[in-house]
This record gives sequence, structure tokens and C-alpha cells, in this order.
Amino acid sequence: MGAEPTVTIHLTAPLRPYSGGVSRLEIEAPTVKAALGVLEHSQTVLYRNLCDETGALRRHLNVFVNADNIRDLRGLDTTLAAGDVVTFLPAVSGG
Amino acid sequence: MADRVVVTIGTRKGVFVADAPKTRRGFKLRGPFGPGVPVYSTLIDTRGKPRLYASSCNPFFGMKLLCSTDLGKSFKETKSAPAFPKEDGRALANIWSLEAGDAAKELWCGVEPASLFRSRDAGDTWELVPGISNHEHARKWEPGAGGLCLHTIVRDGNRVHLGISTGGHYMSEDGGETFQASNSGVGAGFTPDPYPEFGQCVHKIARHEDAPGRLYMQNHGGWAEWDGPGGRRPDIGVLRSDDHGKTWRSIAKGLPSDFGFPIVVHPHDPDVVYVMPLEGATRTCPGGAPAVWRSETGGNTWHKLNKGLPRKSSYFTIQRDGMDVDTLKTPALYFGTTTGQLWMGREGGEEWECLFDSLPPIHCVKATVV
Repeated sequence: MGAEPTVTIHLTAPLRPYSGGVSRLEIEAPTVKAALGVLEHSQTVLYRNLCDETGALRRHLNVFVNADNIRDLRGLDTTLAAGDVVTFLPAVSGG
Repeated sequence: MADRVVVTIGTRKGVFVADAPKTRRGFKLRGPFGPGVPVYSTLIDTRGKPRLYASSCNPFFGMKLLCSTDLGKSFKETKSAPAFPKEDGRALANIWSLEAGDAAKELWCGVEPASLFRSRDAGDTWELVPGISNHEHARKWEPGAGGLCLHTIVRDGNRVHLGISTGGHYMSEDGGETFQASNSGVGAGFTPDPYPEFGQCVHKIARHEDAPGRLYMQNHGGWAEWDGPGGRRPDIGVLRSDDHGKTWRSIAKGLPSDFGFPIVVHPHDPDVVYVMPLEGATRTCPGGAPAVWRSETGGNTWHKLNKGLPRKSSYFTIQRDGMDVDTLKTPALYFGTTTGQLWMGREGGEEWECLFDSLPPIHCVKATVV
């Protein structure tokens, strides 16, 4: 049994083709950065949609932990607690 | 038997495919595929069973390459898109060019930041081409208004010509292993040195297989009134080489402007070349009256083709891949505008009609017969 909190990654519709069609993934990770690290190895195709080749979070994606944008928390170092829901959403932009 | 004219139209909101019988009557439009996502490059690969490719440059989720094996009735993503090695430190920003290679499933792909990739399996896996991507000049190139992009790949046997904005013209003579800057006679208007070794803002390069060694280039012109260091440099925008791109000379005399983006060669006559002059300051049609200009003498003289085109109040831009010519015996030209019109010029551009007038802003157009 892992010591890290189990959290849910919620995937919006545009990301589901890259996760085998599922909308929710249960993973164990203590921070958002660690969650991305888990996805890098377990969901490589999905991960490429979230981060570029350098490992940087894609510029026009917002990450929410429950209802809070991690920009307003501690960014990628935001800690996760058991039961948290992490959501990747495209920023409202474009034209 | 070839019996359909197929036109791919990459737009700011996805890729469209139009097709029609050889009469070019009754074009039908399908799409957008990759909806809502900009498409800067398409390729109609007619080697074997035709495949249509489109770069889908998703600002949210990264680059994808779309492929259709049913002439644009449906598209799906290839298994991967080009990507830099993690240790490289660069990240793909856009896919600007797609070209067919020699082998059956070989593709070449030019990207932003300016680099070249190669696939040997129809786009499912990609490898960086280090000879240009890691060239000693690569970290010295600077982005133009469209970004630092490798936008043109012209292949001629073991020779590979590349257009980079702003890097200039680079050439390989060993199949893409090594590349050299080859810009003798290619001017730059935005540096004190009018003819630097590299750093030019090449816009497009074209060739015809029946004229070995000859290349045409649309360079970043519009510098006739320049009064900065290095002095005036008129007519550097439209060029020709007759020695495989080693040296270049101006063929801009007679054009209303030497600024423009696309340059296209007639499919059956290497002396016939087309440009779309734009005003340098606005990148729009001179006087608001668009016209394609054609030379039938390899650039010695030019003639305006505007029958059927608007005569006033038209201030659109035609981007670097926004014009192409189909391959029928008497070919038609096509150009797409940043205001969303797709125009077709029958009889090699003699008579124009608007095929579609309310598409999203058009980035690229390719046409062929399948």
C-alpha cells in the first residue's frame, strides 16, 4: 500500500482520446508536480498533451485542485490530500 | 485514373478539404477537421494510395499530425508528432511544413523553433535531423513576425533546400546530413549588412524538376525606401538561382512590389512562375486591388492576372503557403486569404472566381489531381 495520498485526475473531453477514453484516473501523488511525474510514466500519450518536451506545463493550460487554480496556491508544488480532484483545463483564450 | 481535383485548406480553425471533377465545377467542401485548431501546413501525398496530412497546432495540448486515407472524408492523428529530445531544451511551437521523402512512407517536417524532423513510417515516429536543427547558426537565428520557423523544404535528389525565417536559405548536398548557409545574392533589409552570410527572412522557395539547378525565391522584400545603415536595397524580394541555390539574382523588375509570401511554379513549364505582390508596410494587396503576377520567361518580364478579382477595397494577405497550382494539363491556381476566401484562377490564372467566401482565415492551400 502506498504512503502517498490517492487523488483523482479529472480529464475533460478533449483529453480523453489520450487516456483510453476514461474521464478519471486514480493516482497516488503528494503534489501536482508529482502527479505529473506519475502521468509521465503511466500515461505517456496523455502526458504529452499536458507538458511539452522540456517537462514544462503547457502554457495555455490551467490546473485546478478541487476548485482552486494552482496559480493561487503554490503552483506545481501545491500539495495534494487524499480525495483531491486535479483538473487540467484549457485557458479561456483565442478568437 | 486521376479524376478528382483535391484542394486542402489549412485555416485558423482546422483543415478543410474541397474536391471537384476535372471540370473544376461544383467544388464540395468538407471539414473542419481538427476543429478550432490552427493548421499551418498540409501535404497531399500522391505516392501510392493518396494520403492527406495536416499539421494541427493546438495551443493548449501541443502539436498533432492529422492523416486522411480517404481523401479527406475523415482524419485521425498519427501515433506521434515531432518532438525535441528532452535534453535539447527546445519545445515544439508549431509545424510549418510537410514534404514527402524518397521512400514510400518517408516524410520531412519543418517546425518552429526552426528545426527539421524526418519520419520513415508515415508520421508515426519522428527523428530530429541534426545537420540543420543543431547547426552552428541555429541559436543565432531570430524569429520573424511569424516566429522562428523552418517553413520550406525543397528536395532535389540528394540536395535539400530549406527556407528559414529568419535564417535564410540552407542547402544540403548529401541528402540532409549536413547543411550550409547559401545566401549569396539574397538580401536582408533589416540588418546594416545588406547581404549577410545568414539571417535573411526567406519567405518561400520553389523549383521545377525539368529545370535542374534553377530555383525561385520569394524573399522579404519591400526595402526600396530604406534609409538606414547600409543604404537602399530595392528588388531583393523576388530572386532566382541557376546554380542549385549557390548564388541568387533579382527577378523583381516589373512587379508592383517585391514583397510577398508565396511563389509557385507552373506544373508543366519551369519558365512560368507566379507571385502575389503585397505592400511591404501592410502585407496587403497594393492599392486594395489584389492580383497574381505571372512571368512566362523565368522572371524576366511579368504580367498582371486579375480578371475576376476585386478591383478595390480588398486588404487581405496571402500567407507563404497560401497559393498553389493543380496539375491538370491547363492548370488552375488557387489562393486563400487571411479574410477567408478561397480563389481559383482558371487557365493558369487568367480568370478568377471565388470558390468559398467565408472560411476562417486561411494559412495554407495545396492542390492536386488524384
